[in-house]
Amino acid sequence: MAEGPSNPEVFDVDRIRRFVELMQEFGLTEINLRHGDERIQLRRGFEGPVCTGISASGPPAAALPAVPTISAQAAVPAAPRGAAQEEEKHIVLIKSPMVGTFYSAPDPDSPPYVKVGDVVGPETTVCIVEAMKVFNQIPAEVSGRIVAVLVENGAPVEFGQPLFKVDTRP
Amino acid sequence: MGPALAIEETRGGHLDLISQRTSAEPMFKRILVANRGEIALRILRACREMGIETVAVFSEADRGAAYLELADEAYCIGPAKASESYLRIDRVISAAEIGNVQAIHPGYGFLAENAHFAEVCRSCDIEFIGPPHEAMALVGDKNAARQLARQVGVPTVPGSEGLVNDPEEALAVARKIGYPVLVKAAAGGGGRGMRVALDDAALRAALKQAENEADAAFGSGELYLEKYIEHPRHVEVQVLGDRYGNVVHLFERDCTMQRRHQKLIEESPAPRLPDKTRQAICESAVRLIKAAGYYNAGTVEFIVDRHGNFYFIEVNARIQVEHPVTEMVTGIDLIKAQIRVAAGERLPFTQEDIRSQGAAIECRINAEDPAKGFRPSPGTIQRFIAPGGFGVRFDTHVYAGYTVTPYYDSMIGKLIVHQPTREETIATMQRALAELRIEGVPTTVPLLREILEHPAFLEARVDTTFVERTWLS
Repeated sequence: MAEGPSNPEVFDVDRIRRFVELMQEFGLTEINLRHGDERIQLRRGFEGPVCTGISASGPPAAALPAVPTISAQAAVPAAPRGAAQEEEKHIVLIKSPMVGTFYSAPDPDSPPYVKVGDVVGPETTVCIVEAMKVFNQIPAEVSGRIVAVLVENGAPVEFGQPLFKVDTRP
Repeated sequence: MGPALAIEETRGGHLDLISQRTSAEPMFKRILVANRGEIALRILRACREMGIETVAVFSEADRGAAYLELADEAYCIGPAKASESYLRIDRVISAAEIGNVQAIHPGYGFLAENAHFAEVCRSCDIEFIGPPHEAMALVGDKNAARQLARQVGVPTVPGSEGLVNDPEEALAVARKIGYPVLVKAAAGGGGRGMRVALDDAALRAALKQAENEADAAFGSGELYLEKYIEHPRHVEVQVLGDRYGNVVHLFERDCTMQRRHQKLIEESPAPRLPDKTRQAICESAVRLIKAAGYYNAGTVEFIVDRHGNFYFIEVNARIQVEHPVTEMVTGIDLIKAQIRVAAGERLPFTQEDIRSQGAAIECRINAEDPAKGFRPSPGTIQRFIAPGGFGVRFDTHVYAGYTVTPYYDSMIGKLIVHQPTREETIATMQRALAELRIEGVPTTVPLLREILEHPAFLEARVDTTFVERTWLS
């Protein structure tokens, strides 16, 4: 299957999505793929899957959230990736301090504790993690604005699992 | 309506023990492995073969370890420190709940001998794959275990009848049994919290020190006295019981090759042990375990003196590191047996069905630097070549690229060899150790190779101080 240096097929979104699924399925933390001058590196850390593509030529791609999306040219030299990391510094993750089941609301009939756009303070209850029949209210422990809810209501969570993204800029 | 049992002789002459299930005893659908490293891998393998789903737990230091991929689900339960992860009962139980398991296998170490954890599991309707917590607590109290041994005619090291409550009492006991004596912590174990005293003055000092140390280390300053047996051999018996009162032994293991009370090499059968002594030791172990109301797997430890007298020391209420030695000579998969007993099955064999064939030796491979006093030496393994061939088994969770962390014990693998005679087993072990390549971290392989060539080891004229005396560490 011959492919030129800037062939967009190398960075096909469906293929990337499949890689991410494979990583999650098998608990991988890193995949490195090289084809000619093109390379894909997917690394899974606490921030969720991070996807970077590097090529000898081509304009920068957008910074990537938990679900990787890549622009058509799909190539990122080092400097713009640094800019993306700069932005990341304002984003703080609220992580689960325990193992259990995540609930977004105090009970099934109530609205969720927080939603995207809400401002929280350190004492704000953001969710419940239930363990051994004990419903633990989890405080935000940061100040800022909720920009992402990373877990579904009723899903199991492990220690250290990211639950929310908070933008801490004033 | 007992289960039918099927026993077949395989071509190798080993028993192929198959348990017949009845519909009244459903096997677990899913088990949580509350451990890490090689024993977690061992349990995951057994479950896979039995068609049991698995849930693994890991600390942040173990995230990404390859053996976790064998589990159906895996949950992070805390940061690297064991006290914040593998020892966190609440998190392990939470993982068991969200993982929807029916049973937990604790492996060895960590929560394996924590009677409270066993009790919590059962109160959460999760089966604990091990002994009942009452029996665990009983045998875990070293002093109570000694008294039980005496009650059922199992020889114990001459010593105080119970705890020594003051120095005068201790001195009286010491004069009766004769010096040298060993001051031991009732709550201790694994070779810790012990002091030797050669005379009255030394005993007074030892009592004071031991009490303080024991209080600090184990939370209890209670002490008892034993006669100090010089140049002992360490012989332990593998036992296995079911919930119906059936208890068998699977013969003994000799674990005399130790360094600072840490085992380096284990073997079965115990070399140069008269058959009558072997039989007596094994039968004593069964008697004691029955009396304690103990079921599932366990090990009863004895010391054997120069004259062939044996004395009960303690019970290890768990599956042990060196269980593969027994598996090789008896042909019985001990982890599967543990799971079956926990699921309510009867033992599929009687004592007469169990035979020991050939000789097996296990060498523990530790990431320790012999040039630096065997200091644990974490690091990343660069090159890894496992030995193989007829009669060679290597139980390890490591591989090239694996990073050995400083947070847990330094054992990275167990090399087990089984051949028809001890001489052949030793020759194969020497060959296997020479083949083994682990680069990137220092290991105890060079020391093991020297031990296996030493005439005293070959002739089995060793005691538990041999390694320290000979290699001056």
